[in-house]
Amino acid sequence: MTLIDEPVAPARELTVLGACPQDCPDTCAMVVTVRDGVAVEVAGSKAQPYTNGGLCVKVDNYLDRVYHPDRILHPMRRVGPKGSGEFERISWDEAVDEVARRFTAIAADHGAEAIMPVSYLGTQGILNGLNVGDPFFNRLGATVAERTYCDAGSCTAYAMTIGDTAGVDPEAMVNSKFILIWAANIMSTNLHLWPYIAEAKKRGAKVVVVDPVRTKTARAASQHIPIRPGTDGALAMAMMHVIINEGLTDDDYVAAHTIGYDELVERVQQYTPEWASQETGIPVETILTLAREYATAQPSVIRIGVAVERHAGGGQTVRALSCLPALVGAWRNPGGGILQLPLWAFPVNWPAFMHPELLPPGTQVVNQYLLGQALTGQLDLRTPLKALMVYNSNPLVVAPDQARMVEGLSRDDLFTVVSEQFMTDTARYADILLPATTQLEQEDIMFSWGHLYVTYNNPSIAPLGEAVPNTELFRRLARAMGFDDDPIFTRTDEQMIAEAFDWSSPAMEGITVDSLKEQGFSRLNLPPSDEYAPHRDGNFRTPSGKTEFVSSAAAGGNFVVPLFRQGSNDHQPGQPVDPLPHYIPPRDNAAADPELAARYPLNLISPKSHAFINSSFANIEIHQRVQKPATLLINPADAEARGITTGSVVRAFNDRGSVELLAKVDASTMAGVTVCHVGHWRSDALGLSTLSQLNPTTFADLGNAPTFSDTLIDVEPVAAQEG
Amino acid sequence: MAYVITEACIDAADKACREECPVDCIYEGDRMLYIHPDECVDCGKCVTACPNGAISSEYKLAAEDERFRDIAVEFFDAFPDANGGAEDLGPVGADHPTVAAWETGGRT
Ligand code: SF4
Ligand code: SF4
Ligand code: SF4
Repeated sequence: MTLIDEPVAPARELTVLGACPQDCPDTCAMVVTVRDGVAVEVAGSKAQPYTNGGLCVKVDNYLDRVYHPDRILHPMRRVGPKGSGEFERISWDEAVDEVARRFTAIAADHGAEAIMPVSYLGTQGILNGLNVGDPFFNRLGATVAERTYCDAGSCTAYAMTIGDTAGVDPEAMVNSKFILIWAANIMSTNLHLWPYIAEAKKRGAKVVVVDPVRTKTARAASQHIPIRPGTDGALAMAMMHVIINEGLTDDDYVAAHTIGYDELVERVQQYTPEWASQETGIPVETILTLAREYATAQPSVIRIGVAVERHAGGGQTVRALSCLPALVGAWRNPGGGILQLPLWAFPVNWPAFMHPELLPPGTQVVNQYLLGQALTGQLDLRTPLKALMVYNSNPLVVAPDQARMVEGLSRDDLFTVVSEQFMTDTARYADILLPATTQLEQEDIMFSWGHLYVTYNNPSIAPLGEAVPNTELFRRLARAMGFDDDPIFTRTDEQMIAEAFDWSSPAMEGITVDSLKEQGFSRLNLPPSDEYAPHRDGNFRTPSGKTEFVSSAAAGGNFVVPLFRQGSNDHQPGQPVDPLPHYIPPRDNAAADPELAARYPLNLISPKSHAFINSSFANIEIHQRVQKPATLLINPADAEARGITTGSVVRAFNDRGSVELLAKVDASTMAGVTVCHVGHWRSDALGLSTLSQLNPTTFADLGNAPTFSDTLIDVEPVAAQEG
Repeated sequence: MAYVITEACIDAADKACREECPVDCIYEGDRMLYIHPDECVDCGKCVTACPNGAISSEYKLAAEDERFRDIAVEFFDAFPDANGGAEDLGPVGADHPTVAAWETGGRT
């Protein structure tokens, strides 16, 4: 039978401009093609100069996620035991009523602090991302969730040194003469920056990567410097030692735009290259050359990755790295300085999204890394937790202390609400499960923490099933709780978009909601990248306006930037901070704890995966095929000593737990260092556990950053153990 | 893990894909181009750049194109200098034997 003559209605096809929502610095401008209401293609926008028409391995197959048969499309109530994943469908009204009833009862019986939100950056739109639940929970008086997953320690350290400045425009890096990539696998986690680095290299720049692992990025660089995990601060301090003692400083710049130079000179004397070589495992000659080339090839730039903070001295490491550019006058020229989070260039109207004034003063704060302890009575809490509401996050995979977290989430007296797109490890423990939209089904407006463009996400398809955006979820909950007496809780998405930025700020000049909707993106109104040198004449965003080698903000003690804690400034960690940068060695190492290091001689680091973003996409088949099952990279020498071969099952363990993984014997990781990428779900793991079993809950020195890279383990073949 | 160039590139080889690759891992043989399996970061950008629909994820290859996965691996085994950036290297000047001997006229 042929259908050739049958008249076919022309398909109604349209293209919609969107924005990638993932927790990634690149915030790609997307173009979604929609035919008869169904999205048929998601591609990169060719018009956006920085993201330049490409997406990445995570999002190029976004439709596999949007239309995945496992999407949660209706509200559900748990019917089986906690964790069983057995649910029955209910209506939205029933779900919202039950949540409101339980929250109200728990608040009445135990105080509202018995309820806690758990969330992070499953989506990072200004509307639906980091702060979407903050006004609701602040008004409720729930326990404040401190979310220090990403760069919190780095932000504290960076702000203490140079203030909340955008730093370097990544597009200006084509002008850089020396590019120092520190603890970042650009090709996997910041892909759209790479062409700028490659262009600089073509123009003669030297590109150096400091990383314990010979990543793809390290292989493509001019030089790879392998470093022992957690000793980055020793290298940075020794670089300052060499630069200062060899007279490679930019004296005019130092005199005009820094404070505390004399104290710094004195401080760095103890950090000789010989000492740093012992600490880091890097030859003295390599340290000397690095310091000299970094200082003299101007403009030089340091690109730091999130990993740089993930050990006991992570904060002070970023303090030292943020001091370096001023020392050598790197800020004088476009493409010189340090690139941390250019997010600070965006005049986001954070208060309108957090509404910290609603928070009852003194409300208790719990860091999400301590959730396992908090749920199992091991944290000294004024009000023990009786309810959780999880959105934008899968804490069972992304937080440490997995065994306790499972124990806590299994508590019968804990009421857990989860809003999700998929049945994640955490969603299995929900009492009430709510369906969340993907980016194609919602409207949002995006900052970026990797470039200087605002991006708009126009919705391209109707929500699937009964899924709702997070904004609508909290509107519904607020109404059910009676919060709709305050217009904050009845704002439409459109009204929120109108509040997203300080549109009167110079950076937003010429940019409107309408222009964004139409063009999809807009570069902030800043000088063109070839002229962008914001600290040529100082103007640092510190109290002194200078780079503060001696930090005045240190006097207030250790703190977490309030953005990461619902706007709250109560119960800050507060411990005293030495105002000069210094070296804090890893906590878990042979010098600090020889007995521990004897039992667990191998470092474990857990970088971001290539094909997943944190735990997102780890359930999508094509991503699983690219990423492969959870694997432990181990150096040939360490493997041989333990009789481990590629493809065999091994057990990685320490006092906190044990994980079964496939081994890959691989010289790309240093001797003594094992590597397991983060993100695989517990439900897919060999022994129902992932590496977050092994990670410590201890914070780094600043900003309550995690210390994932400060983990010692040993590894053994599984067969031998059972044999 | 990588994207793979297949038969439709043979004797087309217009290099449109190479311009688009963010990591410069598409190397020029004689009759076709080859994606370095260890350097490709699976971003998919080359797929839409190819006017001939020659490029696919190795996990989405049509059955008749499956052999091009091995062809790529063997090509880079045979020419170990082809790494670290296709633009700097320029044309390799040779092909995988299967491609060199390929009869034009399309697939059977
Ligand atoms: S995850 Fe990052 S690189 Fe990938 S599409 Fe999204 S913003 Fe772009
Ligand atoms: S998928 Fe991306 S990285 Fe791989 S060859 Fe194509 S453009 Fe290059
Ligand atoms: S664009 Fe397509 S046809 Fe052209 S060289 Fe690349 S793979 Fe071959």
